[in-house]
This record gives sequence, C-alpha cells and structure tokens, in this order.
Amino acid sequence: MKIAISGKGGSGKTTISATLIRLIARRGLSVLAIDGDPNPNLIQALGVGPGVEAESVPRSVVERREDETGATRHVLTRSIADIVSQYGMKAPDGVTVLVGTKVDHAGAG
Amino acid sequence: MRSIVGEIVNHAEGVTVMDTEASIEHMSRGTVRYVDALLVVLEPYYRSMETAGRTVPLARGLGIERVYGIANKLRSPQDAEAVEAYCRNHGLELIAKIPFDENVVEADRTGRAVIDYDATSPIVEELSQTADFLLREVRVNGDRAGGD
Repeated sequence: MKIAISGKGGSGKTTISATLIRLIARRGLSVLAIDGDPNPNLIQALGVGPGVEAESVPRSVVERREDETGATRHVLTRSIADIVSQYGMKAPDGVTVLVGTKVDHAGAG
Repeated sequence: MRSIVGEIVNHAEGVTVMDTEASIEHMSRGTVRYVDALLVVLEPYYRSMETAGRTVPLARGLGIERVYGIANKLRSPQDAEAVEAYCRNHGLELIAKIPFDENVVEADRTGRAVIDYDATSPIVEELSQTADFLLREVRVNGDRAGGD
C-alpha cells in the first residue's frame, strides 16, 4: 500500500503524516516513511529526537536512461534494500524514514 | 528530488507513506504515479479548501483513483459543516475530521511526536480511525501490488 499526503504549508500535513505512520506501524505493519517535502521535518514529527539530522538520499541513486524510442526514464542505480539500509533512519514503532534531497531543482519532474 | 522519491516509492515493499511537497501543482507524474491513495489535508477556511478542491481533478488526471480529504484544525461545528459541504460539492470523500488540538502545539514546542506527548490526544484518536479505514479500504481492497 502506497499513500501520499498533500496539503498547504501550515495545514498540519506533516503532523498528520507522522501520526498516521506511527499508528499504522502499531498495527504490526512494516512502514517506510518518505519525506518528499523540500523542508524535511517529518523525522522530528515521527519522534526521532530533536536535533537529529537525517542524511538525505542523494540524486545519484537515480539515473536518467534513454530507451530505444528516445524517451527518457528514471531508474534506480542501487537496490531499494541498499538505499534503505544506507540512508534509512529508525523511528519509534519500527518505522524507517527516508528523506529526499533537500534542494535540487535540476531536472525536476 | 521528485524522481528519486518516485522511484523509491515505486520499488518499496510493504506500506509506504510519503509526506509530499506542499501542493499537488508541484507534483509530477513521476512522484505520484505509483500511489494507491492520496490524502489531502484541508483546513476550514476558503483558500485551504480551494487548494484541496483543485487537487482532486489533478490527482485523478495523474491516475490516482482514491483521493480522500482529511479536515484539520476544526474549532467548531460550523467549521466541520463548512468542510463537509465543500467536500460534498467537490467530490472529495472526507475520511477524518480532526479537531484543533493544543497537544500538537505542545508536542511541537518540545520537539516530540504528538503520539508520544499524549497518545490520547484528539488528533491521535481521530487518525486511529483513519489508519483502520486505510488498511481496510486501500490495503485490502485497492492495493495495486496485490499485497502490502
């Protein structure tokens, strides 16, 4: 199950995301939390102590490739397990968090 | 960043929950194309509801079938009625009505998760129902991957 949460800045989106993630984890499921917000603060809202800085997942884990029709698509250069084990942070209730690269507008979209 | 997040979501197993950028206008097809459900947080004032309302057709255009509203910071029955009316008129199924919760402010002040600050907080109680709803409606009935 893959869920995305959106909302205007200040709407409480991150608090809601974090709380839902913890509640789903407490129901015995393994949850991967992804902070795709340009100003990541999901880790704090999840209860990873204040002052802890996450290491962002670098752009290099994704590569643009051109297929035979000339269309470009993005592919992971490493396995998801690798990425999660290197960059994932542990949050309470067994949640794992990945934080997207903070500022990178190049090639966005 | 968007492609990184999109690709990770695509490949991840188990339950994946993504806190996205502020508004869907900034989301690309790549970020959300693998998403089973989009939750749109809205507050009971016009601009917030309008932003949420614009999200619904955009999300459907991106191929997301399940789009749900989550009302937050409701301070009165009138607030709840306003959000309910808006959602009804814009085809957005409202699955949570979270009251304004002082515990969120207090938890933020001390850098704690609200669920750790006070697990009986109104926001936690309401989202507990939401978690059950999602596991029942999305994970069991609508998971594209056919598992969790």
